[in-house]
Amino acid sequence: MTKFATSVKKVDNEDKCKGAALFVDDIKMDNMLYAKSIRATIACGEIKSIKLPKLPEGYYFIDKDDIKKENVVNIIYSDWPIFCTGHVNYYGEPIGLLVGENRGKLEELAKQIEITYKEETPIFDYSKSYIHKEYTKGDYASAKKRAVKVIKESFESGYQEQAYLEPQGMLVYPDPKIKDKLICTGSMQCPFYIKRAVMRSTGLGEDKVRVIQPAVGGAFGGKEHYPSLTGSQLAAAVIKTHRPVKMVFDREEDIKFSTKRHPSRTDLEALIDKDNHIIGLKAKIHLNGGAYRGCSGVVLSRALIALTNAYTIDNLDVVGDAYMTNTVPTAAFRGFGSPQTIFAMEMFIHHIAKDLGVDALELRKKHLVKQGDVTANSGHFHDPIILPEIIEKAISMSGYDKKIKEYSKPGCNKGIGMSLFLHGCGFTGSGESDLIKAKVKLIKDEKDHVYVYASSVDMGQGNKTTLKRIVSKNLGVRDDQVTFDNPDTDMIPDSGPTAASRTIIIVGFLMEKAAKNLKKIWKKGVRQEIVEPYVGPTYIKWDEDTMQGDAYPSYSWGANVVEVSYDPTTYQISIDGVWSVYDCGRVVDERIAFGQADGGIVQGLGYGYLENEVTDEIGRFRQKNLSDYIIPTAKDMPHLETAFIDNPFVYGADGAKGLGELTLVGGAPAVALAIENAIGKKVNKIPATPEYIMELVTNGKD
Amino acid sequence: MVKKCIATSLNEALLFLKDGEVTIVSGGTDVMVQRRNVAGELPLHDKNVLYLKNVKELYYIKEDGDGLHIGAETSMSDIIADKRVPKILRECLEEIASVNIRNSATLAGNIANASPAGDSIVIDNLLDAKLKLSSVRGSRFVDAKDFVIGVRKTILEKDELIEEIVFPRRDYNHLYWKKVGSRKADSIAKLSFAAAYKLNKNKIEKMRIVFGSVSIKPAQNKSLEDEFIGLSVDELKAKIPYFVDSYRQVISPIDDQRSTKKYREIVAMNLLREFLENIK
Amino acid sequence: MEKIKFNLNGKDVSIEVDPSSRLIDVLRLNYGLTGTKEGCGEGSCGACVVLMDGRSVNSCLLPMANVINHKIVTIEEFSKSKAYECIKEAFSSLGGSQCGFCTPGMIIASYALLKKNPHPSEEEIREHLSGNLCRCTGYEAIVSAVILASKKGEGLW
Repeated sequence: MTKFATSVKKVDNEDKCKGAALFVDDIKMDNMLYAKSIRATIACGEIKSIKLPKLPEGYYFIDKDDIKKENVVNIIYSDWPIFCTGHVNYYGEPIGLLVGENRGKLEELAKQIEITYKEETPIFDYSKSYIHKEYTKGDYASAKKRAVKVIKESFESGYQEQAYLEPQGMLVYPDPKIKDKLICTGSMQCPFYIKRAVMRSTGLGEDKVRVIQPAVGGAFGGKEHYPSLTGSQLAAAVIKTHRPVKMVFDREEDIKFSTKRHPSRTDLEALIDKDNHIIGLKAKIHLNGGAYRGCSGVVLSRALIALTNAYTIDNLDVVGDAYMTNTVPTAAFRGFGSPQTIFAMEMFIHHIAKDLGVDALELRKKHLVKQGDVTANSGHFHDPIILPEIIEKAISMSGYDKKIKEYSKPGCNKGIGMSLFLHGCGFTGSGESDLIKAKVKLIKDEKDHVYVYASSVDMGQGNKTTLKRIVSKNLGVRDDQVTFDNPDTDMIPDSGPTAASRTIIIVGFLMEKAAKNLKKIWKKGVRQEIVEPYVGPTYIKWDEDTMQGDAYPSYSWGANVVEVSYDPTTYQISIDGVWSVYDCGRVVDERIAFGQADGGIVQGLGYGYLENEVTDEIGRFRQKNLSDYIIPTAKDMPHLETAFIDNPFVYGADGAKGLGELTLVGGAPAVALAIENAIGKKVNKIPATPEYIMELVTNGKD
Repeated sequence: MVKKCIATSLNEALLFLKDGEVTIVSGGTDVMVQRRNVAGELPLHDKNVLYLKNVKELYYIKEDGDGLHIGAETSMSDIIADKRVPKILRECLEEIASVNIRNSATLAGNIANASPAGDSIVIDNLLDAKLKLSSVRGSRFVDAKDFVIGVRKTILEKDELIEEIVFPRRDYNHLYWKKVGSRKADSIAKLSFAAAYKLNKNKIEKMRIVFGSVSIKPAQNKSLEDEFIGLSVDELKAKIPYFVDSYRQVISPIDDQRSTKKYREIVAMNLLREFLENIK
Repeated sequence: MEKIKFNLNGKDVSIEVDPSSRLIDVLRLNYGLTGTKEGCGEGSCGACVVLMDGRSVNSCLLPMANVINHKIVTIEEFSKSKAYECIKEAFSSLGGSQCGFCTPGMIIASYALLKKNPHPSEEEIREHLSGNLCRCTGYEAIVSAVILASKKGEGLW
């Protein structure tokens, strides 16, 4: 029986409920200027000329020539310019900023800017690879000789917009006390990413850039890298104007030009032996990376690694490419590559079962990953795996086994689907130990009050509460004896980005150790300080070039069951039931864990059946506001039932593993499988909109 | 410089409408989106603006011999709450946007906005509603179905406003409304379908069929509606393929960011077929 | 410019503004009431919801002309009430607020519902809150918080 962690009051609740929490747009400074992005209006081509109107006093135009040092956004691949270099690579690429006191005036001036171009033919398809990755396992070629059946299919997924409720916004201002020092505050996930980006673009030193996090209204990956771009742009503006400069996007600008989830196509070929066993899988994965690589290499890598999902397949031949297209660059989004391939794999294994005439759940059970199994990348699943218990629990909660049979009868217009999935926690491979090298700090003052210093941003997921709780619990002090303020890079060590489901498993683990160590040396009434560096499991070895080894320090697991009803007149889907079971090691705070679970599955379901975003003939997004880009409302969702099963991880805080992304990845395949069950046709594409379902019902394969 | 008038009486409003082109603002829920500027800046009005929300005499729902009268400034929420209002209109309004918006938005505004995706105008047509258009020159009544003439184009003269909407009494046996949106709430219609019939001694005595969001204005065809009259239920059923084929020619859906031409056409015909098949 | 008189958070006020100004801008910029948030500027998200005569409205779509002689209550004032305390406690104990950006609008919309219908069904809650988007909670905790508040807050609405 699972023993849940109880919950404490979420620390930021009071301020957030009464509207007192300050988000970036709530901050106004004396002498503050506003910035407006001037953007390219073609998808691809050379800028021939830029003609500015006469700017009134106090109004400025900032462009690539105002970048003091390097005109690149500091992301993994340094190919994304802060301001267009002269060659436009996507519609909406920022060419410059208009900066001035009055936002209305900026709008007027912006309309008077004349830019001429020499247009080139843009690319929108999967034809120009700019990142390639591949790996093999076993011997696919010889497995193919043993195969009695080869099954091929393709799966596609679309864009997904993070749709955090607070749009992107950034405010950069000169430090009032220290000359030439810049302070950045804004909606963000990773304070140190912004700090390093601004240092790189301005040439300012470590001590001359400070990043302070205000309240952040949701992020979901969308504020992992993008604020490095806006922060760098505004830094250039502040250096030129010596005044605070703020830029807050309205919803339309945010949807049109900020990064989204990579659209994908996954071509799969499965080898089946005489015992209906999947002995081989060949995959070619395509991701639309947009105009610049940014972090697409890592997204691609994680997409490839996640391919075999919760199944062990002995022979693999996996290649993947990220493709340059003349569209807005795609980047981080909760799940980071795995939602695309896990969707493909979950659908494919069902389709294989159908083709073989065997029960899909049985086929899946036969291939389930077990502790000690060799991973897709020839590493090992080191830790205990409780998938059979997860499945059993999901079935008992949902009645999946009975319903799937009942709903398979034609004409009942109901369907049920169950996805199984895993999510790798933390950075890929040994990245945590080798690259991130996270540190946390605890300071105890003379009054025995403890301050937590870490760069983890609470963007709603509650880590101000959970991390603080880990500290107070391990110190054995009252909760109100511990303070965890929003990160300020002048005060905190770099404990890494708030990304990759790493906060609890990595930063939380560090907090636990730091607190335990502080407890050991605790002296009443004395100021004490502890800095704790990350030391991960030494058995984790990974080679990114060959993609061989242990891809992650650990994995979290889950199952989602979704029940739908289907309207054969309008091809619409209604979600009637959602049941989820997760193994995230051990839950730190029950209420916060449920919050992650509920929000994640709904975002995953939206990805699967509702959230449609497509581009037009010049690469512009056609759905550019929240009335056309449709996310679920309260009415679209039923009551959500969730259970956690304990499976403590040795290197996690109190046994905890990652949870944030895990809760999203199974939503799309679960709803797509339910739709498939309801309509009796194979679903190969998400979002499975009514328009697509209509195509399937009229022409699709059984 | 555009002039702005916060009218407090109908007379004041009509006088203001007399000179120049005017944007009329009722609840503001459409105009404020269409004229939106950056945050903190005034909406971009290029015409004079008339604010009608303070004209208290336009807040009413009343019944008389002609039927039910709804004053132009009555909010959708108030209309929904009034049980005298035809149920099908209330159901239709309940599917427009959200409670928050319906607390401000008006039926007259939804009609005057003349969006091809407008919902209430479909029901107004179905119920043979009349609009009272008023100006300093006087008032005239027009059929709701003749009001919209194009995308955001109406027959409203420059100096006119919608003063009220009148719903005559009707005695249909059955009324049907279906909005096909992209989600269950707060969505703009991909298409909508409304229909009503009256049966007398197993024969169709009256038929109304209106499609929304599949043409620049609600699609309705009087002569096709007349073809139903006098048919017995069995005769009607036999002619369903004919009616579906005929109505397919009445609509002219398009591809846009919300749906496809094909989906709109097929679903519109599915809804029509289903409706006709269910006539008993 | 016009002199616009209305009641803001219990006080009669008068402000010289263009009648087309959006209520949200007047609240945030002229009165510094930043608890009202702008998430979309077109009435889709509900982060800007305030009370007008006790009903929930999108302040991003309200021209000041439409506010004349009406009572506007923002989260800053509402948060001093017992009704708020009850809803907030329910949100807190069940996890109805995560990033907090939708929260003030969500709480105001929840109150407007309970005022109209003190014992709403789950379906009525979902319907009423469908103009208030949340991307963090999946609505689960919010809906159960409203149910809890309706049970605990008898007589408060």
